[in-house]
Amino acid sequence: MILTHRNIEGIDIVSLSGRLVMADVPQVRQKLLAIVEAGNGKLVLDLKGVGFMDSSGLSVLVSVFKAARAKGGDMVLLGLSPTVRSLIELTRLQHIFSIFDDEATALARLAESAKSAAG
Amino acid sequence: MTRTIGLDVESRPECIELLSGALCGVCQRQLALPAADISAIHLAMVEAVNNVVEHAYNGESGHLVRVELELAPNRCNLRVRDHGQPMAPGRLAAVTTFAEPDPEDPDTWSTRGRGLAIIKSCMDTVEYEARDGVNTLFMSRTLATGESA
Repeated sequence: MILTHRNIEGIDIVSLSGRLVMADVPQVRQKLLAIVEAGNGKLVLDLKGVGFMDSSGLSVLVSVFKAARAKGGDMVLLGLSPTVRSLIELTRLQHIFSIFDDEATALARLAESAKSAAG
Repeated sequence: MTRTIGLDVESRPECIELLSGALCGVCQRQLALPAADISAIHLAMVEAVNNVVEHAYNGESGHLVRVELELAPNRCNLRVRDHGQPMAPGRLAAVTTFAEPDPEDPDTWSTRGRGLAIIKSCMDTVEYEARDGVNTLFMSRTLATGESA
């Protein structure tokens, strides 16, 4: 599992690539939670490069989502593969995750939610 | 004709990736199963072995996990066997469907407990047996178009 991180105007963007499965979960969870802790809780999780995920991968997404919300921010998902989208819909997590196909829209959503919170 | 492939690995998360590679390779290249069937069988196997590593063996490496893939015309049977702590009686039957998380209620944002429900969604039949120190999760799926190998 490869993880890259950048920050655009206070919003963390993390791209994952590979398979998000039990063998990688402890390391990925730790890194993502550290990024949320160090930042302001606004996170775009780019999963374009993730071709397969299991329930332990889903547990990471939910953990990080909870951490972001607890910090007053949000986590949105970007670029789901058909396999990952299917798993998220099967487990009904699309009811809590916002899912986008392009980065600009995902960033705009997080910027908007920050304005709403401030206003 | 029915064909059976057995795969033995150690109870470590890294070994589940070896199983995934072997299972997908056999299903794609040797048996040419439809993609939807491969995805479902693959996910069910990963979830089943995850449960063995995490729960039956309590995260301990060094134990045996055996996966048997049995291909009959129009049907795939998968058995995952371990010698660890058996699943609680009634646990499998109690798993029905996925609870819908409420965006306004963090208490419904569960981080665990989806594996068995995923397996039941992927496979037509799921049965569990603990006998003589061997635990077996049996899973069966009707194939979309049958095997073509």
